[in-house]
Amino acid sequence: MKLVKAIVRPNKVDEVRDALQKLNVGGMTVTEVRGHGRQKGHTAIYRGKEYDVTLLPKICIDVVVTNNIVEEVIQTIIRSARTGEIGDGRVFVLPVEHSYNIRTGEQDAS
Amino acid sequence: MTMGIEHDSSRDAGIGTRDSGAAAADARTRRTQMAAALAATRREFALEARQGRGGREVQANYAAQMDAVVQQLVDAARGQAVRTLVVCALGGYGRRTLCLHSDVDLMILFDGSIGREEERFVNAVLQPLWDLQLVVGHQVRELADFDDLDTANTEFLLAVLDARAIAGDAGLFERLRERVAGATTAHRSRAVDALLELIEQRQAQFNGTIYQLEPDIKNAPGGLRDIAGIRYLQTLTADRVEPERSRAVGQLQDAEDFLLRVRGVLHAESGRDANILTHELQERVADAMGCKGDEPRHRVETLMGIYFRHARVIFRELGRAQRAARPPAERPAATRVGRHFEIATDGIRFLDPESAAGRPSLWVEMFRLALADGCPVSEQALDTIEQNLDRHSADDFAGTEAERQQLRNLFYPRPGLYARLSEMHDCGLLNRILPEFAAVHCRVIRDFHHKYTVDEHTLLTIRGLEALWNPTTPNRKRFGALLEELRAPEVLTLSLIFHDIGKAAETDHAQESVRLARPALDRLEVPADARQAIEFLIRNHLVMSQFAFRRDLDDPHVVAQFAHMVGTEELLKMLCLLTLVDVEAVSSSTLTPWKEELLWRLYVETYNQLTLGYGDELVPQDPAGLAVVIAGRPEDISDEELTQFLEGLPRRYLALFGLASIYRHVRLARGIRRDEVHAILENHDDVWELTIVTLDKPYLFSNVAGVLSYFGMDIHRGQAMTTPGGLVLDVFEFSDEQGFLRQNPGATAEITRMLDRVVAGWVDVPALLRGREASLLYRRRQREPARIHFDNEHSQKYTVLEIVADDAPGLLHRMSRVVSEQGCDLDLALIATEGRKAIDVLHVTKAGKKLAEHERNALKHGLERVLEGTDETR
Repeated sequence: MKLVKAIVRPNKVDEVRDALQKLNVGGMTVTEVRGHGRQKGHTAIYRGKEYDVTLLPKICIDVVVTNNIVEEVIQTIIRSARTGEIGDGRVFVLPVEHSYNIRTGEQDAS
Repeated sequence: MTMGIEHDSSRDAGIGTRDSGAAAADARTRRTQMAAALAATRREFALEARQGRGGREVQANYAAQMDAVVQQLVDAARGQAVRTLVVCALGGYGRRTLCLHSDVDLMILFDGSIGREEERFVNAVLQPLWDLQLVVGHQVRELADFDDLDTANTEFLLAVLDARAIAGDAGLFERLRERVAGATTAHRSRAVDALLELIEQRQAQFNGTIYQLEPDIKNAPGGLRDIAGIRYLQTLTADRVEPERSRAVGQLQDAEDFLLRVRGVLHAESGRDANILTHELQERVADAMGCKGDEPRHRVETLMGIYFRHARVIFRELGRAQRAARPPAERPAATRVGRHFEIATDGIRFLDPESAAGRPSLWVEMFRLALADGCPVSEQALDTIEQNLDRHSADDFAGTEAERQQLRNLFYPRPGLYARLSEMHDCGLLNRILPEFAAVHCRVIRDFHHKYTVDEHTLLTIRGLEALWNPTTPNRKRFGALLEELRAPEVLTLSLIFHDIGKAAETDHAQESVRLARPALDRLEVPADARQAIEFLIRNHLVMSQFAFRRDLDDPHVVAQFAHMVGTEELLKMLCLLTLVDVEAVSSSTLTPWKEELLWRLYVETYNQLTLGYGDELVPQDPAGLAVVIAGRPEDISDEELTQFLEGLPRRYLALFGLASIYRHVRLARGIRRDEVHAILENHDDVWELTIVTLDKPYLFSNVAGVLSYFGMDIHRGQAMTTPGGLVLDVFEFSDEQGFLRQNPGATAEITRMLDRVVAGWVDVPALLRGREASLLYRRRQREPARIHFDNEHSQKYTVLEIVADDAPGLLHRMSRVVSEQGCDLDLALIATEGRKAIDVLHVTKAGKKLAEHERNALKHGLERVLEGTDETR
């Protein structure tokens, strides 16, 4: 199993979610986050005064998927979250040793 | 002296002499019997609780059964301890309100130091209780621990205030009580402070409101802990209950019994110490409590209605106890206010309640005074109002313009407004004045996010708005600044009051809210422009959050779309604040810094679009808006005349002015010729408005501003628009600071005459103003550095110049004169004054083009000299 962690634009979360649902990805965790990558924020001007917006609002989507669909999930996220502009985000993939269902205590198949 | 089970000396004598196997068997038998008896009581309790009968009586029976168990265990183990001892019940158990799965809180107190024998005794009492699967909270103490009782340890202090002896030495218990009483008397003030702080902290976890959709009936405001809090405060302050308050005492007992019965159902149904009346359990509890209704949803509404009524009683009584515990120090016993009121320690009161009962205008006046004084409305007044509400209809509160004005002004957001509106709401007055709001009274909307009833959510938005007057964080200060800039913040409060009233119907609630609000706006005779704003804000109250949190704010088209929808900066500010407080009032965790940042970003991007980027789009690019203007055209204006007038004006013009104003402008522009000016000068309340139409010429804007300055007018706002064909439409709002217009009957004619002469070129305005401009007032130093910013990006046609500076008389005239002196054309201008700041946005060109860098630098240098007061030597 793999944990796929995607940092995407806030306005892209619905598209990513819909696309993952079509792949029958069962569950996901969505978190409001702030940060910067290469985009490194921007300068905004309000009433003639400049101020730096260094940490930009993003959405972090976590999904745990089996190894056989991980590549498809990654590509789906990239496709649905991409605008082609700087600031589209990142996808990280991490190994998962085990996962358990808290209600039943059962271990999920890896 | 002993209590509970009498000391059995014969059994003690037998210990160690009888066969140990038989003794153990006896003990096992006794425990089995004890467990069976307790289990039977618990089964009976659960049965009663599921029928909604697990109230005070059943809980007292269960506590008595628990007493018997503890007494039996103490009796069996007492030979193991050397010291005199007493075992006490604490907390709810001490008060004999022991629910099915509540903790069994015990204190084992020894008269002397605790040795090995005492430890064995403690173990012998507690171990069997644990074996019975009870959750036991226990304290083991020596009497000496109470010699210097720490009253700041509030939790422990309260626990011992509730202590009730179950078994052991009564004399020892009496000595404990004396020490606790002595400590609380000696350190009463500290103990009360600690208790009040504890209550405040607990209530803050629930946003300080009783109107929770899934209330924690133990801990939330209006819950069981509040009842305990009232009793503790009464004990600590020796507060006596006056005979006339017996009704309130009865209501409090009813409320407690109701909550105990609900708690009984929750424990029986969930099989654990559950105190949250969740959506899932509400139907079950409603059925158990016999709530009426044809469908489960209706029965739940009945249940929650009863719950809120009881919670309100508790919350109100706790408030009274809190005020009694800490009365305001500086206020004398009672201060008379006007002919009808006095302010006493419990708040503002009617001097003659009987007479006030028939005069509803006095009720509203009372709330106005309470807001002005920062004091609550007294129970005497609230009771008077509540008992006489049925005698009056909504129209009785808005019969005259003075009454309507009073009501409209009541909604001006200021400290204390939430508290006063809550009082009005609790006593029924708010629903009587605004029956449209009654549609969401205690309305429960089940969704994942909302934590409060619709009416309370609404009032919490107003609390959020009120808090923006004194923002505590830099992030909030920026929103607070927007509130300060609003021309009529009561418009925003009224929009908030009505924004969710459509939730009673299960359709598009924003649209339904607009429909329902209209009769109230009619009744209050809200002025047309304010009414338009209120309806816009209600209709679109969800739109800004959808754009901010769901759309791509990096996309200029998205921002432009939102800017078109909003239209003006004033509406943008109000919608932004409405969105902020609306999201915040959903629950304590809904408005995250993440959302706040996105909201602010959308505000800034849209503000910039509205002020910097509006010049490129002309009226014909808004065919829908244009069609509305054409459709409403009066007979004296032809299509051609209208279209010709509008075609060169920015699209923003349609958002700024209503139809009546647009048609007036068209008429004003009729037959205008070079060197002529057509003007209308009129006043609205304290504000004067000058509208002029003329044909463009150099220094025109500067000269008009100079004329107003010459007559001592303080310009607050303004719009200046020039069409490509050279038609100029300027609208200035200003106040008559020096009273020239007010004191001179012919003053308006004199001003328009001067405008005629200036536009005709017969008057040299700089010469006219020279004497005035030399004065200190005109040349006072900037308190903060002024900001001059050029934007060459937002507009394709114009260089946009933003100037933010300390306001000063004549400043606009002098700055715009510099623009003309530099050979620039001032095509569009937005003039605003926010507090002491002048915020001017000027769209300029030079020879029909944007300004090059060296031209911007030269203009900036000239403006800096004006702002520094070094532009001319005198």
